[in-house]
Amino acid sequence: MSDRCALLKEIDEVSFFLDDLRLYLDTHPLETAPLELYQEKHQKRLELLKKYADEFEPLTCHCVDLRSNGSSASDTCYPGQKHWTWSDGPVPWEAAANNCSLLQGGV
Amino acid sequence: MWSYEKRLQFPVHITKTCPKTASLIISQFGGPDGELAASMRYLSQRYTMPCKETGGLLTDIGTEELAHLEMICAIIYQLTKNMSIEEAKACGFDAYYIDHTAALWPTAAAGVPFNACEFQSKGDAITDLTEDLAAEQKARTTYDNLIRIIDDPDVRKPLKFLRAREIVHFQRFGEALEKMKDSLDEKNFYYFNPEFDKQFVKK
Repeated sequence: MSDRCALLKEIDEVSFFLDDLRLYLDTHPLETAPLELYQEKHQKRLELLKKYADEFEPLTCHCVDLRSNGSSASDTCYPGQKHWTWSDGPVPWEAAANNCSLLQGGV
Repeated sequence: MWSYEKRLQFPVHITKTCPKTASLIISQFGGPDGELAASMRYLSQRYTMPCKETGGLLTDIGTEELAHLEMICAIIYQLTKNMSIEEAKACGFDAYYIDHTAALWPTAAAGVPFNACEFQSKGDAITDLTEDLAAEQKARTTYDNLIRIIDDPDVRKPLKFLRAREIVHFQRFGEALEKMKDSLDEKNFYYFNPEFDKQFVKK
């Protein structure tokens, strides 16, 4: 079992990388190096999202997979039962869901 | 269409209740240069953009602004969720409390409710992209003002992230405007409206 906090931090980081790169590619659509980087990070993000969904809960509705989600007793009202997993886990606006600081230092 | 992702773009973890800070930051939710106006501006302007890459950029930045709106609301929510009536009164948050309790409602810090007149969708690519550039700078200045006035490091961290994003968006809109100009008459960019007089736009 991974550390929830560390895995979410990794997802936040790779997702932000893509958020920023997406805008760059919108205005530089022919640049080869960023295109390859996008492909690589996109693949990484998909793997991490799947891992997070399998071990904790789905972060997107596309990660809901009733064969593998909800296998852990992590943050659900229905531990051990086959159920709709989309509402498992903390709501993202609660402080408790944001325990891991993305950027250390510099305030 | 859109689909939701159950995480913030940048984490918001605030431990200290402070309705006063919330009453200032709320301007970046429903104020004149806030994230609601930003997202609605870009997502409204994109339909008639003559250059489809620029329409795509407006979609992506407008979408990111929705994520920023969510971060701002999370900050306000966490600053007020445990407030007492005494704290609300002492901080001048009582007037907001009467109408909205601790719920989120888009308004400017000075109490002016959100209004679609905070932004334009003019139907002229040069006009709209110039507005977008100004909007990013106005939002950046608002974040500067907030960061100058707020001491809590838990609140400053996400605000500094959001400020940096305004600068990146400004750069990208600047590139989109230059690209737009390449398809126009370089002797007079303002001779016609590229969104309406399409016959003059270079392929």
